Amino acid sequence: MSYFKIIVLLFVTVFSLYAYPHYSDTLKEKKIYPLGQKIYQQKCSQINVLQYKNFQQLQQAIDQQEGCKNLQKRYKEALALYLWEKKRANTPQKQYPPLRVSKHEKCPICGMFLYKYPRWVSMIEYENGTKLYFDGLKDLFKYYFEHSKGIKELLAQEYYTQKTISARDAYFVIGSDVYGPMGNELIAFKDKQSAQNFLLDHRGKKIVRFSDITKEMVYKLDE
Amino acid sequence: MNKINFYLLEYAYAYIKRNKNKNIFIVTVFTLLVALLSSVFFITTTVEHEMKERISYKPDIVVQAYKAGMQSSVDSALLDKLLEINGISSGHLRVEGTYDFRAKNRLFYLYGVAPFEDQEDPFIEQILQNEALNSSQMLVSDSVKESMHQAYYDKYFNFIKPDGSLQKVFIKKSFPVHKRIELQNLILLDQDTLRKIFGYSENEGSDIALSVANKNELDFITSKIRLMLPNAKVVSKNDLNVMYEKLFDYDSGVFLSLFVIAIFTFFIIIYDKANGLSSEEKREIGILKAIGWRVEDVLHAKFYEAAIISFFSFFTGLLIAFIYVFIFKAPLLGEIFMHNTLLDIHTFNLDFYLELSYTLLIFLLSVPVYIAATLIPSWRVATLDADEVMR
Repeated sequence: MSYFKIIVLLFVTVFSLYAYPHYSDTLKEKKIYPLGQKIYQQKCSQINVLQYKNFQQLQQAIDQQEGCKNLQKRYKEALALYLWEKKRANTPQKQYPPLRVSKHEKCPICGMFLYKYPRWVSMIEYENGTKLYFDGLKDLFKYYFEHSKGIKELLAQEYYTQKTISARDAYFVIGSDVYGPMGNELIAFKDKQSAQNFLLDHRGKKIVRFSDITKEMVYKLDE
Repeated sequence: MNKINFYLLEYAYAYIKRNKNKNIFIVTVFTLLVALLSSVFFITTTVEHEMKERISYKPDIVVQAYKAGMQSSVDSALLDKLLEINGISSGHLRVEGTYDFRAKNRLFYLYGVAPFEDQEDPFIEQILQNEALNSSQMLVSDSVKESMHQAYYDKYFNFIKPDGSLQKVFIKKSFPVHKRIELQNLILLDQDTLRKIFGYSENEGSDIALSVANKNELDFITSKIRLMLPNAKVVSKNDLNVMYEKLFDYDSGVFLSLFVIAIFTFFIIIYDKANGLSSEEKREIGILKAIGWRVEDVLHAKFYEAAIISFFSFFTGLLIAFIYVFIFKAPLLGEIFMHNTLLDIHTFNLDFYLELSYTLLIFLLSVPVYIAATLIPSWRVATLDADEVMR
């Protein structure tokens, strides 16, 4: 019996020593990765994450590295997680610049000035370089259904983060109690989870993808 | 009236000089009225503007824990819970508070700086960019340094911890606060050192600051947190704006009554003037008409007279208000806005800031009214026959 206890204890200690830290994805996105990135840039940019086979090796390397040896435990953890999950994976995500409009830009559909509602600006970029800005996705879709040829990029702003995303991969919530400058709107989200949360929070009716959106659906929003 | 008639202008000037006593009285009243009203508006607009600027440096949402009706410390686990809410883009646990330096009867504002953390206040961010702090160093403002120096603390300062022991922190450097007068008691030091000074444990902080990317969502998120944490105090930037606006609206109400009284006094003077000209003035107009002046010329001269007086008084009044508020920093009158008990920061720079709409309001309420009050009775007399007036 005592042997069994010792083995269990040993197992527990070893496991807790090399446990891989578990945090939720949102927490990682909002807190740990930015912190880790900052530490990496400021203190130990000499670490090359690709040469380590597993997470423990990376942790050991961080413990030995000159710049980051004396860091507190939580900073080391953040650094290790950032390097292991972000830097190593190195998923090339397409980054779009923020949508900025000048004071003279007007929406081609409704003719409103756009600078007054910067949070609702969306854009269609054509292959010949023409960029058209709209004050909301409803107007963008109205234009899109009339002139859908030769489009290079359809950009919208994510509601929660205000980051620019491609409208083609976005999730849209319709029928919510959040109104844009032109009334009822399609509100864009980058993932299904936040769209779902928004739907519950703001009494939305439906989550739709880009391919589901029809002309009738868009015009029905005006009713 | 496309050209200024200099002969008539000269006549108007001579007329003002002839009736020195009466005109000096009018100019004095007029000037004081404009000076009073415009200094009131200068103060209110400037203070409000400064207040808005200060609020803009604050975090979007601040969450404070309350225990027995008093603010108490928050645990860092709460931050992780709050960050799960959609729409909150980032947040951090803050360690900050005041330290009573009893020897000099002064409150220091201690702000803990965590390494690798962004500051929402650009001023603090800029200071920290040039100086890296270790755990036994602090950066102090010039005026804090001065009062430490008065107590013979030149190189370091001993903070007294809650258990009575001392925490020695070296003064690394001092910084000028320039325009940010509300930060004149600021001391920046390492967050963990500050935890020791305040007697917090490792995971504790004084409050949680959250930032929200989409400001349209701010109120909703605030109410969501309020539902989530029924005992906590949740203050958003919008709430702060509303609170200060209410406060200033109250003060402006006091001023408004002052404004109404002043305007009425002015109108009474104007009414008195408009009600009739003295017989001497009537006779003068009669003589002018008898020697061949047209009605037009008389009115022209009267217009010049009123314009000289009112413009002179208006601009002198404006200048006096300007000097009083922006150079002497509004002694006495400004005190109304310094809510020592209500605002944690109650000193204002009163740097030059002008809202033209208020100046225009004062202008329109005084200058055209005065000119009209001079012209109308003169016109009434001038349209009569000369012999009738002089009889």
